[in-house]
Amino acid sequence: MHLPLTALRNGETGVITATYCSSAGQQMYRHKARKRWIKHAMAERCARRLNDLGLTPGTKVTVVKSAPFNGPLEISVRGSLLAIGRGMAGRILVDVKR
Amino acid sequence: MNHNHFRIALAGNANVGKSVIFNQLTGLHQHIGNWPGKTVEKAEGTLHFKGYTIDFIDLPGIYSLSTFSMEELVSREYIATEKPDLVINVVDASILERNLFFTLQLLELETPLLISLNQIDMAKKKGITIDIRKAEEILGVPVVPTVAISGKGVYQMLETAIEVIEKKQKTDPLKPRYGREIEERIEDLIILLNKIQLKYPTRWVAIKLLEEDSEVEKEVLALSPEIVATAKRMRRELEQLHGHSCPTVITSERYNVANMISEEIQTITKPLKTPLSEKLHTVTTHKMFGYPIMLASVLAVFVGIFSFGDFTSALLGDTFFALKPIFDSVLGTGIVGELVWGGIIEGIIGGVTVALPYILPFYFILYIFEDSGYLSRIAFLMDNLMHKMGLHGKAFIPVMLSFGCNVPGCLGCRIMETTRERLLTAFVVTLVPCAATSVIILGLVGAYVSIGWALALYIINLIIIFVLGRIAFKALPGEPTELIMEMSAYRMPHIKTVAKQTWFRLREFIVMAFPLIIVGSLVIKLAEVANLLDPIANIMSPVTVTWLGLPAVTGIALIFGVLRKELTLIMLATLFGTANFAQVMTPVQMIVFTLVVMLYIPCVATIGALVKEFGGKKALLITVLEILLALLVGGIAYRLLTIM
Repeated sequence: MHLPLTALRNGETGVITATYCSSAGQQMYRHKARKRWIKHAMAERCARRLNDLGLTPGTKVTVVKSAPFNGPLEISVRGSLLAIGRGMAGRILVDVKR
Repeated sequence: MNHNHFRIALAGNANVGKSVIFNQLTGLHQHIGNWPGKTVEKAEGTLHFKGYTIDFIDLPGIYSLSTFSMEELVSREYIATEKPDLVINVVDASILERNLFFTLQLLELETPLLISLNQIDMAKKKGITIDIRKAEEILGVPVVPTVAISGKGVYQMLETAIEVIEKKQKTDPLKPRYGREIEERIEDLIILLNKIQLKYPTRWVAIKLLEEDSEVEKEVLALSPEIVATAKRMRRELEQLHGHSCPTVITSERYNVANMISEEIQTITKPLKTPLSEKLHTVTTHKMFGYPIMLASVLAVFVGIFSFGDFTSALLGDTFFALKPIFDSVLGTGIVGELVWGGIIEGIIGGVTVALPYILPFYFILYIFEDSGYLSRIAFLMDNLMHKMGLHGKAFIPVMLSFGCNVPGCLGCRIMETTRERLLTAFVVTLVPCAATSVIILGLVGAYVSIGWALALYIINLIIIFVLGRIAFKALPGEPTELIMEMSAYRMPHIKTVAKQTWFRLREFIVMAFPLIIVGSLVIKLAEVANLLDPIANIMSPVTVTWLGLPAVTGIALIFGVLRKELTLIMLATLFGTANFAQVMTPVQMIVFTLVVMLYIPCVATIGALVKEFGGKKALLITVLEILLALLVGGIAYRLLTIM
C-alpha cells in the first residue's frame, strides 16, 4: 500500500518509493500545483535535503512517534533519529504492508 | 610552505564531537571569526606538537557537500581550493552509515584523509563494535578510534596524522563506485573534462554535473557550454532509466555504498539494557511528560538567570558607582569630567552590568542545552507553535535567547538554514521583550499598576509577535523551509568546550556592543550638556503628548532607551525627580509608556547586530517598522484605555 509518511501509525515501517521531486511523484505534484514551476523548484530543493539526510527511494523508514498538537514526526532512518516537519513528511511516499 | 608547518581541517556531521576534538587539540590558542563575506563561523587554532606547527580549522558540521546551505558551500570550497594538508573526518561510530555518506564525499574530493572514529564508548553502549582493520582496508585511509570527551585516542590520531602528511604511511583511498550506467557516463564526462582546466578533481566535477550542482555547472559553463549540455542529456537518460531524478539516483547509490561498508565493518548486538540516553530521549519527547519537563527547565533557567543577574547586576553597578568620588577627584566635576563619566564610563558600566550578569549565564546554559542534545528536543516539541508565526522549531532557540538579550538572539539566527528564515527570525526576535524590557514591565507596570497588567502586556506582546510573524512570513518572498534535523543521542556536555564557546560569544558581544553603547552615551551626554534635550522633547511632543498622551519628558527617556532599554526607567526617575511613579503618571500613561518601550526600537547594540548579520538596509527597515508599530500600538492603547 502506498501512503504518505504522515499516514503511518507509530511504530510502523515503510520503504520509500518516491519523494515528490522524483519523476513519479513529480507529475502528481505538478498536477496538483497551481503555481507550477515555483512549487517544482521548491520540491527539488526539499528532495535534495531529504536525500542528503538519507531519505532516498528504497530506504526503510520507521515512524517512532509524532509530536503532540500535530507537530513534527520522529522517524528512525539509517540508524539515527530525525525530526521532520509534517509538510515535508507528507511529500514522502512509502510502501507499507498492512 | 614550511616543511614542518601544516594545515589540518576537521570535517564531519553535526554533533559528532568535532568541536570537542578541536578544543582538545588547540586549547586556548584559538581564533573564532567569520568566513569572508559569510555569516558562517570559522574556528581556527594552532598546535605545537613534536616540533611541528599545525594550524587546525574546524569546518562547520554538515551532512553533505552539496550546496544546500552556506556551511556546505564554505566547507567544500575550503577543502577543494585551499587544499589543506590533511582533512580529519570525525565520524560518529554509533551512526556509522550516515557518517560514512559524508566520508564518501570527502573521498570523492580526493583530499588526503584520516578518519577519527569518535564516540566509540557510546557505540559500545548501543551494542555496536567496529572492526577498525577492516575499515582501514576498505576505505584505504587510516582510521583511529577516539573518545573526544576524555581525550582518548587524540594523541594517537595526531601521530597518525603527521605520518600521513609526511607520507610515512601509505594510503590508497577508496574511490566510491556507482552503478554501471552512471559509471559509463562519468567516464565519458571525464574524457570531455580533461580538455579544460579545472580547480577541482575531474571525477568529482563529472559526478557533480550529474548531480545538477549549480555552482559546478556555472564554472564549467563558462569554460565549455557543450559539456554542460552533454551532462544535461545524460541526466535525462539516467532519469528515464531509473524513474527518479538523477541527483536522487546518485545520492541513493552513494548511501547504498555507505550502507554496504557499514554492514561490512560493524556488528550490532542488542544491549541488555536500554542506554540511559535513550530513556531520557523517550521521556523528554513524550507527549505527556515532554512539555512539562520543557516548561520546567526553561522556567528554571529564566528564574535562575534573572535572580542571578539581578543580584550581580546591582552588585556590579554599586561597585562602579562607589568609584565616582575617586573619579571626580581626579577629573573634577567640570564639563570634561561629566562627559567622560556620563558618556564613556557609564556606557561601560551599562555594558558590563548587562553582559556579565545576564548574557554570560545565558550563553553558558544555552551551550549546555545544545551540547547535551536537549535543544533539538525542544525544537521538536516547539515546531508546531513556531509554525504559527511562520518559523520552524529551530527558531525557538534564538527566540529563547532574546528573552535574555536581543543581541545574542540576532546572532543566534545563524542556525536557520536560509537567508529568508534568518531575516524572519531576526524580525521576530527583536520584538521579544529582553531582560531590560522585563525590568521596565515589572518595575513600572508591575509595581505601580498591577502584576496582572504586567502579565497582560507580555501576552499582548506575544500576540503582536504572532500576528507580525505571520504577516512577515506571507510578505517575504521566497520559499519556506521546514524542520528537518537529526536528534542525536543525549550525551554529557563537555564543560571545557561549553565554557570556551561561551567565552567567545561573550567576547563577540563585547566587541560589537560596547563601542556602540559608549558612542551612543557620549552623543546623548553631549546633547544634554548643550541643552538640546528639552528642545528635542518639545519637537517630539506632538507624538508623545498628543498621540500617546504621555508627559513631554518621556520623549527624553525614550531617546535614552535607544542605548539600553532599562535607561528609560532610570531617566524617568531622574527627570521627574522621584522614583514613585504613581505620583507623576496615571496608570494608563504607565501602560502606554511600557508598551511603547517594549516595541519602539531595537536598542543600539541590537541594531548593530542586525547590521552585522543582514546589512544596513534591512536593519534600517526593521528599525523603522518597529518605531511605526510602537506608535500605532501605543496610540490605540491610549485611546482604548481612556475610553475604558
